[in-house]
Amino acid sequence: MAQTQLDELDRQLIQVLARDARVSNRKIAGELGVTEGTVRGRIKRLQQDGLIAFTAISSFEMAERSRLAFISARVDVGKVREIAEEIGQLSLINAVLITMGEFNILAMCLFHDLDELVTTASDQILAMPGVHHVETSIAARTVKYNARMAKITRRQIEAASD
Amino acid sequence: MGLTPTFDATDHAIVEQLRLNGRATNQQIAEELGLTATTVSSRIKRLEDSDQMRVVAVSDFSAHGFDFLMKLAISVDGRPASEVAAALAEFPEIFAVHLVTGRYDIDALVALREFDELQHLLLDKVSQVRGISSLAPSIVVDIVKYQFDVAPIEKQD
Repeated sequence: MAQTQLDELDRQLIQVLARDARVSNRKIAGELGVTEGTVRGRIKRLQQDGLIAFTAISSFEMAERSRLAFISARVDVGKVREIAEEIGQLSLINAVLITMGEFNILAMCLFHDLDELVTTASDQILAMPGVHHVETSIAARTVKYNARMAKITRRQIEAASD
Repeated sequence: MGLTPTFDATDHAIVEQLRLNGRATNQQIAEELGLTATTVSSRIKRLEDSDQMRVVAVSDFSAHGFDFLMKLAISVDGRPASEVAAALAEFPEIFAVHLVTGRYDIDALVALREFDELQHLLLDKVSQVRGISSLAPSIVVDIVKYQFDVAPIEKQD
């Protein structure tokens, strides 16, 4: 992972925007005691470096797919990256991590009904060449969760520089 | 809080635009969807006021200096799993805790700045939580994708 040095102002800016991303540059500038130009420039740099992205997060009530499941897979070691990318392309999948441990891929998905989950885990993922075993567990209750952290994608970085 | 209002196709279309660019102006969204900026503004306000949506900055794991991620699958014995989960949620290094079905009782996600912090977390914190019978760690070697657009919405200040 690229090591980027953030200073105190960057951190404060991220904190303000994590609460509400639609607050104006002028208001942020006032709150942090810097100029509007500084705020604009900092936001642009943070976006271009892929450190922040602005998005909408909806409640579980409003979302169509609101149940979380973990899908662990054991796959050919030599093909793990390729398979992880392929799993990441599936429409239901929100997260794909390459891991060391009992399984070498951990995927996370939000689903609406069990049939959707089974289709993704047991039909699509299990059928990929090189995937040997898939194990699913459903989050029955969420005790803690941080939706402000993400892996920011190239697409988001490009969208920000338009 | 009053009744949860219902949301129509226009609301969902606005949320979709905000997902792509949370800082798009009301005017830009209005033009994209063939609405007026006033409509966009009042719809966004209603979504936010009813705690159904937030437009936020999400930051990359690297922005926080988190270089080390791990999942812990936890088995519980002799104590309600929800109590163990609540105790684990107290630790700032653990950013997600879920009670799950399947072989284990709890799945927790851990983010650390460096490997050295692991010893302190596991030996001084997690292993002191009563009721944990076993821990199965998976060390994350790469994050291919991690993006959630649905979350519990915290109340506005």
